[in-house]
Amino acid sequence: MKKVLAILLAGMLTATAFAGCGGGGNNNSGSKAADGSQTESKGDASAAAAVDPSWPDASLFGDEDNITLKVWAPDKAVDLVKTQVEAFKSHYSDKKFASIEVVAQGENDAATLIVNDPEKAADVFGFPSDQLNKLKDAQVLTQVAPALAAQVQAMNAEKTVTAATFDGQLLAFPETNDNGYYLVFDNSVVTADDAKTLEGVLAACKKAGKSFIMDAGNGYYSCIFAFTGGAEIDGFEADGTTQKFKEYDEATVVKTLMAFAQLMKDYKGTFVSQDPANISTGFKNGKVGAGIDGTWNSQPDKEALGDKFGAAKLPTIKVGSEDKQIISLFGYKYIGVNSHTKFPRSAQILGYYLAGQECQEQRAKQIGWGPSNQEALKAVADDAILQAVAAQAENAVPQVNVAGTFWTSMGTLGSEMYKDGWNPADEAATKKLFEKTIANVRDE
Amino acid sequence: MIKSYKLRRHLSNALIYIILGVMCIIWVMPFVYLVLHSLRLDGGVIDNGALLPKQFTFKHYIDLFAGNAPSGSGAATLYFPQWFLNTFVVACFSCVISTLSVLMVSYAFSRLRFGARKKLMNIAMILGMFPGFMTMIAMYYLLKIMHLDGTLVALVLCYSCGAGLGFQISKGFFDTIPRALDEAATIDGATKNQIFWKIILPMSKPIVVYTVLTSFIGPWTDFILAKIIMGDDTSKYTVAIGLQKMISAEFRSSYFQQFMAGSVVVAVPITLLFLKMQKYYVEGVTAGGVKG
Repeated sequence: MKKVLAILLAGMLTATAFAGCGGGGNNNSGSKAADGSQTESKGDASAAAAVDPSWPDASLFGDEDNITLKVWAPDKAVDLVKTQVEAFKSHYSDKKFASIEVVAQGENDAATLIVNDPEKAADVFGFPSDQLNKLKDAQVLTQVAPALAAQVQAMNAEKTVTAATFDGQLLAFPETNDNGYYLVFDNSVVTADDAKTLEGVLAACKKAGKSFIMDAGNGYYSCIFAFTGGAEIDGFEADGTTQKFKEYDEATVVKTLMAFAQLMKDYKGTFVSQDPANISTGFKNGKVGAGIDGTWNSQPDKEALGDKFGAAKLPTIKVGSEDKQIISLFGYKYIGVNSHTKFPRSAQILGYYLAGQECQEQRAKQIGWGPSNQEALKAVADDAILQAVAAQAENAVPQVNVAGTFWTSMGTLGSEMYKDGWNPADEAATKKLFEKTIANVRDE
Repeated sequence: MIKSYKLRRHLSNALIYIILGVMCIIWVMPFVYLVLHSLRLDGGVIDNGALLPKQFTFKHYIDLFAGNAPSGSGAATLYFPQWFLNTFVVACFSCVISTLSVLMVSYAFSRLRFGARKKLMNIAMILGMFPGFMTMIAMYYLLKIMHLDGTLVALVLCYSCGAGLGFQISKGFFDTIPRALDEAATIDGATKNQIFWKIILPMSKPIVVYTVLTSFIGPWTDFILAKIIMGDDTSKYTVAIGLQKMISAEFRSSYFQQFMAGSVVVAVPITLLFLKMQKYYVEGVTAGGVKG
């Protein structure tokens, strides 16, 4: 009897602990649904209003006044976003803004924090494209109002818009088209002509006794081996979790992989697989001639090399007799509007403005973020990095709907090929390795 | 077969020392690497494979405490001294509260006899078996109802309020103290409360030290809970979340060395406390284990 009582008591205690949890969850979904319907009706109401490309009509604010908003921007952009918010406030000077707070919050954490507690999170926030699904599934994104959507679609790079469109609804404002990697080089070692082919880059580095850094063991970078051969990912299968691939010719993929592995072997000592964070250090101490680095490291790379800094889209690689363009994985950044915001209309307009041409141009010029807005991109035509990045974006697979199994499987593919004992001429082994990689990615 | 006993002993000793030495090197290596590379002059993640840095500097420690952002990082919210202070304050408070609560609970279970004693001990055991992170989201929403989310008070509450559940070891220790002492004190007119403070506690230094140490270390190492509670408020971060932020993709290439320096600095208060209390500590762990 005593034992039964003890168990019952313990059970009750745990039950209360869980009840708190469940209660919180329910409240959430309730308010979510309410907010969702609110924003939808708002979209319809304002559909008729005309839109100025940079400043939406003040009537879109509806009856919202005494506006309080919170904006998340990464550390690098905080100061700039603050001035942009000031410009926003002064443009709509007949509206009363209680406060628009800009809080530094890295984009890589944005989805986690919002899903944890959407009510405390920012109303307007920046996030990378690979969080789109998570945010969509958690129903924390507000659909872009139709009145603004047409303008957004017309002004931004097509891929960035398509990636954020689900069932015909645009869920976020494209903010950048630059979340990827490209070729950086020391132009005293690698000439612009060398930079066109991977063979040229490696030969130039070898000649100068410097290394070429690429993180071949990291799936984020090493997926270029399979992508270049044609095995590109294409969202999920119908089950929503299994990675789908575009149709590819396995023989071509294997040949491409062999070509990469051959280069790694031929240029052993020059082709070094390392964390890309070492590229800027290597530029500084003169040990590195070129590398494949992400846009987030552009600043340190550029500072390390100064005038000698060179940037280009990823080079081509010779497979058989053909020069194949290297295909990379490429993401975008978006500005999303939290569906739990108390001022959905104002948040939309602010999101629209912050992701608009004027703000994109300012960010491109001041902190080097590659614009998704086509006009803003033209305005920075003299920026070598941004142009290289934009060129690479054309030869890339969008980083949306990537399965969790993708990263390590692709990483293993790269590190196997980079291994000392790997024989690049062994077609059967390469084929086996590739098939295993695909099976692992698809979790079969 | 080696005949000489002396030779055999020397041989086996040598073998044991070699094995121990190798294990020791493997174990110590990461720490040595951490310290050496936090002092490395040239920046970057690794010195292109070099194990030993070529030039040394204290620059990264100075930058860390002065809150200097490396050029090009664009960091506006990475301020280690604040994080360090936050963690230290939280650690001190939760250390005091949880030590007291653990010892009091243990005393009650060890010395007092009351109706639900056995049942409560069983419940505590069962509750202790649930992994803590299961209730984290619930805790967050409870704190939010009380408007405590995003505050250091919330952290102190979370770290110290459940501490009483971990009474087993110190109860085991208290059980080894003869009850005759309590009875003698009772005859002299001491209350249960006085017995706890004047008889039991002075005799239990080792276990007090053990409890202090474990509860002080908690806040320095906890990541998930602190992250959930603090959200986007970087000024309230603890060192664990702060250091993680330093090696996120955003800051990795510019902050790596400050991260190394920060990791070394975090070890300092814990080490100091440990050194100060070390002589009691060993005694505490073994003594409690006899009956615990």
